[in-house]
Amino acid sequence: MEYNDIKENDIGRMGVLMALLTIPAIFLFVGIGYEIINGGSVASIFKGFTAIVLSPTILITDFIKVGGIAATFINVALVGFINIYLIHRYRLKINGVILAAFFTVLGFSFFGKNLYNILPIYFGGYLYTKYQKISFKEVIVVVMFGTALSPMISEISFSGILHPIIAIIVAITTGIFIGFVIAPLSSHMLKFHDGYNLYNIGFTSGIIGTLLTSVLRSFGLVVEPVNIISDENQGIIIILLLIFFFGLMILGLCINRRAFRDYHTILHYRGRLITDFTHLVGYGITFLNMSLLGFLSLFYVLAIGGKLNGPVLAGVFTVVGFGAFGKHIKNCFPVAIGVIAAALFFGYDISAPSIIMSVLFSTTLAPIAGTFGPLIGFLAGVLHMILVTNVGYIHGGINLYNNGFSGGIVASVLIPMLDAFKKEN
Amino acid sequence: MQHEVKKIALIVNELLTMLLFNGAEDVEIKVKKQGQSTEIVVVQHRNNNDDQFVERLRNSLNNMREYEVEGYYWQLIGEDDNGDELNLVGIMVDEACVERKGDDLYIRLLRTCS
Repeated sequence: MEYNDIKENDIGRMGVLMALLTIPAIFLFVGIGYEIINGGSVASIFKGFTAIVLSPTILITDFIKVGGIAATFINVALVGFINIYLIHRYRLKINGVILAAFFTVLGFSFFGKNLYNILPIYFGGYLYTKYQKISFKEVIVVVMFGTALSPMISEISFSGILHPIIAIIVAITTGIFIGFVIAPLSSHMLKFHDGYNLYNIGFTSGIIGTLLTSVLRSFGLVVEPVNIISDENQGIIIILLLIFFFGLMILGLCINRRAFRDYHTILHYRGRLITDFTHLVGYGITFLNMSLLGFLSLFYVLAIGGKLNGPVLAGVFTVVGFGAFGKHIKNCFPVAIGVIAAALFFGYDISAPSIIMSVLFSTTLAPIAGTFGPLIGFLAGVLHMILVTNVGYIHGGINLYNNGFSGGIVASVLIPMLDAFKKEN
Repeated sequence: MQHEVKKIALIVNELLTMLLFNGAEDVEIKVKKQGQSTEIVVVQHRNNNDDQFVERLRNSLNNMREYEVEGYYWQLIGEDDNGDELNLVGIMVDEACVERKGDDLYIRLLRTCS
């Protein structure tokens, strides 16, 4: 129970919504402009966009490689617009979890999520609310995160395992089923790790994905992970990220001029679900925190010689989003260091996209470092690195939040073990 | 609303855990259901907490009702030993009144079923 008397300028719900809207809008205009400047045309963008929609999108499918940078930016923009429309339509307060969900969905639109494969899941969530006679508002967050399983829809539709018409019907039905069950399942799964795994839907999706993949494998249908990754267009991506992160910082300072001075207040929070920084420390410090986490993620990737491709961008955007909902520099750092140390120890190339993703997404376990201290946070990072390289096969790569799956397992094992050493006062 | 009874029980659980964790020795709880609304009144007799504690409690419980957060995270209430999920309780109630009445700490929550 914390209370901070933070004074800041109120830009209102619409102000924050407009700020969010600028991100997909920038992607849309830059995407189109970049293609035209480089000699492309509307037809080439459309061709790239079609390639993205028709790809199986199994982990790891980088849309930048599949459809080009312009079509990918447009995909990101369209997915962003849909989600902003839903936030506006259902009059949702722009709180920490909404910011986290929005940035996560936006990030995963660089690899895995597209207009075709997310809509059946949204529709399934909508049907669930009609069945339960509740407002769609109550499950929007779950459904936004729940699009983690969208590759299942694309895989069934476009991998050639069934006749095309039958495949699309089966795929859309599967998507609707996922949307229908994801809300009760994900809420229930929270108890498994007590809220210490921030990407709870990743854990839930890992369980559902394992079940669905096992069903497919039982019919002799093989779902194998792929590795389609781009290493081009670094300049434009870096410039855009810098613009976004500076924008968040300036927005934070406009809302709260003392944001830098008051930043230490956010570092006191453990980060366990639910830690909504917009309520606890205000929007000014929250946006500053998101910005700082973004800069750190970007500089880390560049410092180790990594490439900013679709999967890495998903990691960066997710870290930034959860900067409003539990993550800060102090609780992320030990876990990330643990992953890097384990990767080096086991001889992995730390500039490889899968290892960069592990480092960025390992911050799902930030609440462990926030609660039990940096040493335990480091240990959680080590365990995460060991586990995450092995769990992908279980669900065949259809769960985009593979690190959330691994994080859930680490947290659910580690927390009761730590509890065993705790003494009653 | 789904799981309404369970949610009310968890809110009571969380408040009681928080008070016991902060040294309460004499707590009275009353839950009154009336149509779509539920009133939860918790009184801690011989309250020895300071004004800052009361102010923090008031702030935590006076969050705005957030159906989207409740719909997803309500099962986390009562999962932590520290009684640390008061913000979550705050987003699950429509009204919260926290005040001192003599030596007692008086907490009144009103929750309306959507």
